Amino acid sequence: MSIMARWSEERVIGAAPDESSIAAARKLARPGPWSDTGSNDVLVWGKCQGSGKTPYQVSVDLATPAYRCSCPSRKFPCKHALALLLLWARGEAADVGAETADFAQEWADQRGDRAAARERRQSEQQTDPVAQAKRLADRLTLMDAGISDFTRWLTDLVRTGLAAARNQPYGWWDGVAARLVDAQLPGLAEQVRAMGSDVHARADWADHLLFHAGRWWALTKAWGRRDDLTPNEFADLRVAVGWAMASADVQGTEVLPGPWLVLGAHRSDDGRLQQQRTWIRGPDGTVAVVLDFAAQGEALTTPQLAGAELDVTVARYPGSAPQRAMFTSPVTPRGLVHSLGEGCSIAQALELESAAVALSPWRERHPVLFGGVRVSPGDHGWIRDGSGDALPIVDAPLDSLLALTGGHPVDLFGELEDGRVRPLSVVVGEAVVTP
Amino acid sequence: MTWLAELRTSALLGTGRHAPPSPPVDLGFRPPDGLSREESLLDQAALADVITRAARRSSRLDTADLPDPSPPDDAPEASGEAARLLDLLLTQPPVSLELRAQLVTDWLQLAETSRRRVPHRLVAALLALADTKPGVAEHLHPAIGTRGLWLQVLTRPKDSVLSSSANVTEWAELGSADAAVELEGLRRSDPAAARNLLGKQWDDLSARERAALLGTFAVNIQTDDEDLLERALDDKAKSVREVAASLLDRLPASARAARMAARLRPLLRIKGVLRKQFEIDVPPEPDAAALRDGIAPNPRSGEPDRLGRLDTIIRGAPLDVWTTVAGRGPAATLALLDGETRVVNAILATAALRADLDWVRALFDVRKDVRLLNCLPDGERELSLVRHIRGGGVNPFALVPLLRDMPRPWGPALAEEILTLITAKNGGQLATMLAAFLPMALPLDSADRCRRLLERSDDDAPRRRVLRDVVQYQSFRQSLTEAFR
Repeated sequence: MSIMARWSEERVIGAAPDESSIAAARKLARPGPWSDTGSNDVLVWGKCQGSGKTPYQVSVDLATPAYRCSCPSRKFPCKHALALLLLWARGEAADVGAETADFAQEWADQRGDRAAARERRQSEQQTDPVAQAKRLADRLTLMDAGISDFTRWLTDLVRTGLAAARNQPYGWWDGVAARLVDAQLPGLAEQVRAMGSDVHARADWADHLLFHAGRWWALTKAWGRRDDLTPNEFADLRVAVGWAMASADVQGTEVLPGPWLVLGAHRSDDGRLQQQRTWIRGPDGTVAVVLDFAAQGEALTTPQLAGAELDVTVARYPGSAPQRAMFTSPVTPRGLVHSLGEGCSIAQALELESAAVALSPWRERHPVLFGGVRVSPGDHGWIRDGSGDALPIVDAPLDSLLALTGGHPVDLFGELEDGRVRPLSVVVGEAVVTP
Repeated sequence: MTWLAELRTSALLGTGRHAPPSPPVDLGFRPPDGLSREESLLDQAALADVITRAARRSSRLDTADLPDPSPPDDAPEASGEAARLLDLLLTQPPVSLELRAQLVTDWLQLAETSRRRVPHRLVAALLALADTKPGVAEHLHPAIGTRGLWLQVLTRPKDSVLSSSANVTEWAELGSADAAVELEGLRRSDPAAARNLLGKQWDDLSARERAALLGTFAVNIQTDDEDLLERALDDKAKSVREVAASLLDRLPASARAARMAARLRPLLRIKGVLRKQFEIDVPPEPDAAALRDGIAPNPRSGEPDRLGRLDTIIRGAPLDVWTTVAGRGPAATLALLDGETRVVNAILATAALRADLDWVRALFDVRKDVRLLNCLPDGERELSLVRHIRGGGVNPFALVPLLRDMPRPWGPALAEEILTLITAKNGGQLATMLAAFLPMALPLDSADRCRRLLERSDDDAPRRRVLRDVVQYQSFRQSLTEAFR
């Protein structure tokens, strides 16, 4: 087992579920209330004297990371775990050497047992081909039924007209989405649910709904002919309908060595689910995206710093490029780069998008590294390149981008989505920074 | 109508009412036979979706409205610990929001002293904070640097033009509210220039503007203003005359003050043998000159307010009329006014307005009024308050306004007294009332005492909170000072 690098304070802050937790943790991050602290390669532990008689027992598994504390807090990780990590990050407590505390060891053992049991269960499932085939057939029947139901809904939608659909209450859209979830098509359900609010939120709602109805229609057609699709095309379709691929299936595939450069990352939270997208680029120029999810109130994995080079190996999910990827080894930051490399013009970026749509019509988001673009104000902001082309910015702190770039030409990495750019990192003064 | 527009219409109305267009032949799109209307529309929608996305073009914006890039910064960026602390304050403040604003202001001032500037990545968050906290906005420059100024001009053009060197033609074109702000600024930096500026425009202004703009002369009022004020006493608008009279009240050496003295003197007499007392007559009916000086005329119906006229005369006359008639100093003179509450109030207001220290001191002995305290020089001001508190029998809540305006940080004696009051049995409520400024007001040395007080067991949660704020503020402030060393 490799030795986990000591976390930086920023990384600890990144693990906090909200600001108030980190504020509370800061107050606890002094040696006073702590006793029996220690750490080894994978664990950090300690006892924290709270208001009660018995001190809280805190353990952190650095590899996953996973947290445990005997306090009743529903925050996760709680302030005690964060405070302990802060102390450890600063080197003020929990130094290596002490013998692992009983409670920490016990927890680690339990976790180990559970993980082993889970693996056993999974391998048993996999080793029973008959049961496995039946599960797959059941699922496909359910999905087929869901798709034909959705097909009928689409024809009804265009028969009665989009204007009539816009007058429907949100519950109408939500009902359709719920049926799709029941049919194990959560990806489609998510899009329909979003449309329920988009038809009121967007000025261009009519085109938005028309084009999406067309896209959904094409998707139902593709589903019916899924046996004719190439493996990559089918994988893209699976992502679009929300049929997740088990990470165990990916782990067995080809592993690409590092170092991987973090181009930028984005976190979103739709109230039900938090998502984190981390765009990375390998030594051969392969771009991939690592997705992390967490339920409300749970902690997402610590974000990777844009511009960091990571010593890590990566396996890719099937699908067309840029593929989804997962880290298959512990992540060790190597250092920060001074540049993200050569960027493209806005016209080139749009050509790339056009090619990507031709390859996979379901994908809505394309990573782009722009070279020498200027950020300028107006609406939500614009980026412009030397040839006078411009693209609107979406969903980014414009003032912060302006302050960082000063209106000078910079290299900018972002996601091209629906003809708009979501900037995720910019290169300023020999450093990659996040707006 | 283009194919896309027809498709849109059909989709909006529904294929039940409007047939879909035929697919565009020139795109080489050949639909299968026997499609229903709905299938045909959905097929074409899928086509339109892919075409739109694959054929997206960039917008062409006029380069003329592209702002000039920011000029380079000349001051070095605050780095290391100083930058980290500002980042912490802006993004994850470990203190209450009020303390945060104060600490950010402290940071900006320390940066200014050590000629450092805000790192570019923090400029936007800082401007956003300044939008809601005027205290922070006031101290943005110069620490915010060239980049910060550039961004402010770009995104908040209104806030950033605060030039005190108002130029006559431009100033004359401002709206009256803006003009008053500008003039007040100028008045602060260059009173004579403000006077000349207003004097030149005087005849072109409306009565309301004349009154509002003349009002700004309360800042840095001086003898040279008298000519303009005398002229304003003859103004045809009552509001302007009133402003002029109230401003002349502040100039005891003016001609109007001499005229008021001549009206006051005959009204005052000392009587009594054992227990001497002032006897004060009410003023006679005002003549034309008295009316011009701002003494109220007879109302259309009912009795005239004679005591109000007396107040006007007292406020306008020099205070030494009283000492001359009494033949003794201010304190002894006040003793002769025992029971004359209204007259003492008028004298108090006059003394405070003119910051007449002899009178202020004498009056503060009998009246603990915040206006008086604010007139005293800093050191003496604090001493007077400490003496007052030590005198005992003080209503702690009456102290709050007095303490709020006290120069900060307080001296050790005052800090000591207030902490004693707060930690007394019922001091929790006082602590809460002082919470907004106590952390900033206590000197660095008292943090230790607060820390000790905090460690003491105390069930009064609000009091603990205030003390904790003090300790937090002081220790953060200490870190800031060290970070800039």
